[in-house]
Amino acid sequence: MPMDEIALDHSHDAHDHKPGFVTRWFFSTNHKDIGTLYLVFAIIAGIVGYSLSGLIRWELAEPGIGPMLWIQTNFFGLEGDAAITAAKHFYNVVISYHGLVMIFFMVMPALIGGFGNWFVPLMIGAPDMAFPRMNNISLWLTVGAFILACISMVVPGGPGGNGFGGGWTLYPPLSSTVGHPGPAMDLLILSLHTAGIASILGAINFIVTILNMRAPGMTMHKMPLFAWSILVTAVLLLLALPVLAGALTMLLTDRNFGSQFFIPNGGGDPVMFQHLFWFFGHPEVYIMILPAFGIVSHIVSTFSKKPIFGYLGMAYAMVSIGVIGFVVWAHHMYTVGMNVDLKAYFVAATMVIAVPTGIKIFSWIATMWGGSIDFKVPMLWAIGFIFLFTVGGVTGVVLANAGVDHALHDTYYVVAHFHYVLSLGAVFGLFAGWYYWFEKMFGVKYNSILAGLHFWLMFIGSNVLFFPQHFLGLQGMPRRYIDYNEGFSTWHYVSSIGYAITLVATIIFFISIAEAAIRRRKATSGNPWGEGATTLEWTLPSPPPFHQYNELPVVNTKGGH
Amino acid sequence: MSGGDVKHDYHLVNPSPWPLLGSLAVLTLAIGAVTYMKGLFGMPEGTWWLMAIGFAMVFWVMFGWWASVVKEGRTGDHTPVVEIGLRYGMILFIVSEIMFFVAWFWGFFEFSIFSDARVGGTWDAANPIFQEGLERFKQFPPEGVTTFDPFHLPLMNTLILLLSGTTVTWAHHALQHGDMKGAKLGLFITIVLGMAFTALQVVEYSHAGFTYDGTLYGSAFFMATGFHGAHVVIGTIFLTVCLIRMYAGNLTPKKHLGFEFAAWYWHFVDVVWLFLFAFVYVTPYLVFEAGK
Amino acid sequence: MRHLTAALSACLFAAPAWAALPEDGALNFQPAATRIAERVHEFHNVLLWIITLITALVTVLLVWVMIRYSKAANKTPRKFSHNTTVEVIWTVVPALILVGIASLSFPNLYYQNVTPNLGQIAATSNALLAEGKTAEHLAYTKNHFPDAAEKGFVNVKIQGNQWNWTYTYMDIQDESGSALEFVSNGLHKGRASDPVDVGPRNLATDYPMVIPAGRYIRYYTAAADVIHAFTVPAFAVKTDAIPGRLNEGWFLVDEPGVYYGQCSEICGIDHAYMPIEVRVVTQAQFDRWAELMKTGDFDAAAASVREVAALESDTQFASSN
Repeated sequence: MPMDEIALDHSHDAHDHKPGFVTRWFFSTNHKDIGTLYLVFAIIAGIVGYSLSGLIRWELAEPGIGPMLWIQTNFFGLEGDAAITAAKHFYNVVISYHGLVMIFFMVMPALIGGFGNWFVPLMIGAPDMAFPRMNNISLWLTVGAFILACISMVVPGGPGGNGFGGGWTLYPPLSSTVGHPGPAMDLLILSLHTAGIASILGAINFIVTILNMRAPGMTMHKMPLFAWSILVTAVLLLLALPVLAGALTMLLTDRNFGSQFFIPNGGGDPVMFQHLFWFFGHPEVYIMILPAFGIVSHIVSTFSKKPIFGYLGMAYAMVSIGVIGFVVWAHHMYTVGMNVDLKAYFVAATMVIAVPTGIKIFSWIATMWGGSIDFKVPMLWAIGFIFLFTVGGVTGVVLANAGVDHALHDTYYVVAHFHYVLSLGAVFGLFAGWYYWFEKMFGVKYNSILAGLHFWLMFIGSNVLFFPQHFLGLQGMPRRYIDYNEGFSTWHYVSSIGYAITLVATIIFFISIAEAAIRRRKATSGNPWGEGATTLEWTLPSPPPFHQYNELPVVNTKGGH
Repeated sequence: MSGGDVKHDYHLVNPSPWPLLGSLAVLTLAIGAVTYMKGLFGMPEGTWWLMAIGFAMVFWVMFGWWASVVKEGRTGDHTPVVEIGLRYGMILFIVSEIMFFVAWFWGFFEFSIFSDARVGGTWDAANPIFQEGLERFKQFPPEGVTTFDPFHLPLMNTLILLLSGTTVTWAHHALQHGDMKGAKLGLFITIVLGMAFTALQVVEYSHAGFTYDGTLYGSAFFMATGFHGAHVVIGTIFLTVCLIRMYAGNLTPKKHLGFEFAAWYWHFVDVVWLFLFAFVYVTPYLVFEAGK
Repeated sequence: MRHLTAALSACLFAAPAWAALPEDGALNFQPAATRIAERVHEFHNVLLWIITLITALVTVLLVWVMIRYSKAANKTPRKFSHNTTVEVIWTVVPALILVGIASLSFPNLYYQNVTPNLGQIAATSNALLAEGKTAEHLAYTKNHFPDAAEKGFVNVKIQGNQWNWTYTYMDIQDESGSALEFVSNGLHKGRASDPVDVGPRNLATDYPMVIPAGRYIRYYTAAADVIHAFTVPAFAVKTDAIPGRLNEGWFLVDEPGVYYGQCSEICGIDHAYMPIEVRVVTQAQFDRWAELMKTGDFDAAAASVREVAALESDTQFASSN
């Protein structure tokens, strides 16, 4: 059949049965299949990003340049000073792509693309997304962007070798031709443009779906919190990403067409890039954490067998986090030489965010209060999330104070802070959602023992990995260093041991997937969690039919949330 | 197109190759662009054919995809609830476009208003060590750059765009009342005005006293007005497609979402121009040129 | 406190009076060497208490509900989902805590970020003394140093390059009549051929930045190529060095000693190998170093500050109040 006919042939009705393999997985217009593809993609990108972090911890386990040099010597046949230089550049490349891959190709595709696609329509009682075909191009553009980023890693970048080694923040002039003249940076810029287009289209899709396709009776104030979290996230994406696209375009033309936006000799200002970048970058961290908030809310409610405490407060806390998130960006830039009054403003605005965040933490605990808590695996991850996010959140309050941040900016304290909120926050939320919805998505049960082991090893390992980094930062260990003075040795070594523990946890994660796939313990009912699971997706069989809600569900107009 | 037991009005789109092809097109275009700019995979800098293939693929996908949308709209898939969704979608797209322009205005404002913050303005502006830098940055546009007189061609362009905003509204009202002749005429005039704007912009650019490369003012000016110009061209094409569809009897007084979206887009382009005119052309001219 | 530690270090350690290095296994900041750092540490200690208590509160609450309301302990869940009182409390109380934090944060921020007006310091100090306000005077001179203020600023321009630092002493003319300027390279580059026993690895430099103790230092940061950041953890100052910008900062170190910092904004291949070594010496030693530098004999100058002499203890206590 010619390609156009697949799209245009309306007499062919593909709705009552699943289409063939290629049509189903490559030409998909089904939100659940696209969600699954997003999850598969995120796992692949996650393996890449996690391997890169393994290289970082391997290198930093001991002072001096070790593994990076070994790689240059053994894989690239370099020797002497050339190998050392290549090793240093390679390390910078590794940290840069670790950040970019984890943010743009692991956390975002998994939480928004994966769980968002799967469960927003199911939870609001919609048969699919508003624009199913556009949904698919969001996925494939993300894949394309990842391919561009991967190519960028292996083509000439800076003077030291291949790839871009200037950190995920891409600050010029290091990302201009001065620092990285090669095509690697141009490919990276276009990769982020592409990922940005994908996310903007995805954001439009989610907003329209949530506004226009809720089941009869489901008012905004009855909508599940996960849908709220994705709505806020999508609005942040829609407003923040175009500004990043603008900054990247300026950077691209600076590099190739002689414009002077960030080139000091021409009168341009490198700091303007930082403003534009963080105007996107700060909402971006909420983009990563808000969906995790949504997931954790449902899990806490389900396993406490209690409705969410303070539903409206929870929803509007997310809204206010999103709004305030747009006016705090320069707290990433306290050391660039800003006016002191401006710094004072950003200190105040940043600390305000602690209030809605506190509301969320306390509301989760209040949801558990008086409940009958069943410590199933998703609940372990959710409780782990609450604790770790609290730790990451309070160090954020410390860093919000520009006075203290002058001492801690660009040290490992910051690294510890944002890994507690993202690596331990967003990723724990991610795994919580994975185990919460595993049976719903795939129709088979996971092995609770393996999943529990995964949690405990990950919880211990990531704390051992990141907690000592606070100490390193306080002592003055700067970020993005391949090598350090022996005075930092002990805690770096402990941190690397922590990584090894998470590595075991991650291997167990993959074993648990394989085990579930091989044993195929079929789901016996649509709702394995019992009375606490009240959202609409649990009314469907596991896995749900290819097209659900051919007859729209009607939400009880009197009932709670 | 609904299956036998579907009891809702949402549009469940059939599987489609366009998204995957679209991604391939963008991938080709991106790699082609980098090859053209920097040289890649052994191909020298300036190699243009890969980028050309990428562009061709992008246009092919856009044509094929939107042809499907048009066809679906005409075969009844666009029920009232789907139409509402499409409207929301177009509004949100325009919102994201507005944020894209925010970046250019941000740059222009920072360079023109806050340039002194870069050198000592944050600390002690009286300190002599900062004077050299202050002198250098405080002028925007810098010494030696002759800006456009906003009350010649730019003013004419403003009037053209404002006029085109009224003609497209005329076309819309005519279309709603079934006056196809009036609709076509209004739309045709709008398109001509859009082309006239682009032509005048080309004339203006060719007389610029500064260049995109090498000068900060030129970069900021051409980036902002250039992206606006690109949006005018896109809008003109969008309107032209609507005109063709009108002649094909494709747009009816009841169903003409495509036309509505083109009109919204045109108004967005119009409003962006008013901001450009006010803040990029007129204000710097009055503030800086008057001082010279 | 500063004088106590100063006296202690003078008693306990031979020269160098103080070396600020990362300490293996340490849990907190490097010891404060400036009033700025002292204030940052005091503030951070308060914050540390607050965040520890908050984390402890959340942990205790979590553990409590996990035990008290586990499936085994509580068979039938209650169904409440609102309690306006507690919701108001957990909104208002954190907000008040934050207001408290801000009230400590802003004076701290303004203190370190506003370069002091030296002319005013002596005048204010004298006025307070003249009015007999000794308590106020004591509080004022804790943060402001009239003796140092009278001597004026030592101005240093610090330029970051890939991958070393250029220090320009704007007040000192060398023999050619231009400002004294030299490049400071790290001694270690992560290579097998790196020298050993020349100072702490990755921190030592060939020609350190040398400044006199007890003087107001005003520094300007700039960069030649990409962004770098000048920082010395013991001083709690950090200022980006950005091409096309000139940033300003200040500090005052009482204690002679060697203080190390490292570039704190990723700047390319040798980002980890462009350390900052600041040798704080007595005014006399500083003047001798400057004389040697002026002649262009950088090695002799560097050798002259290899040993950092402690302040004489009587001078030390004479300067204290």
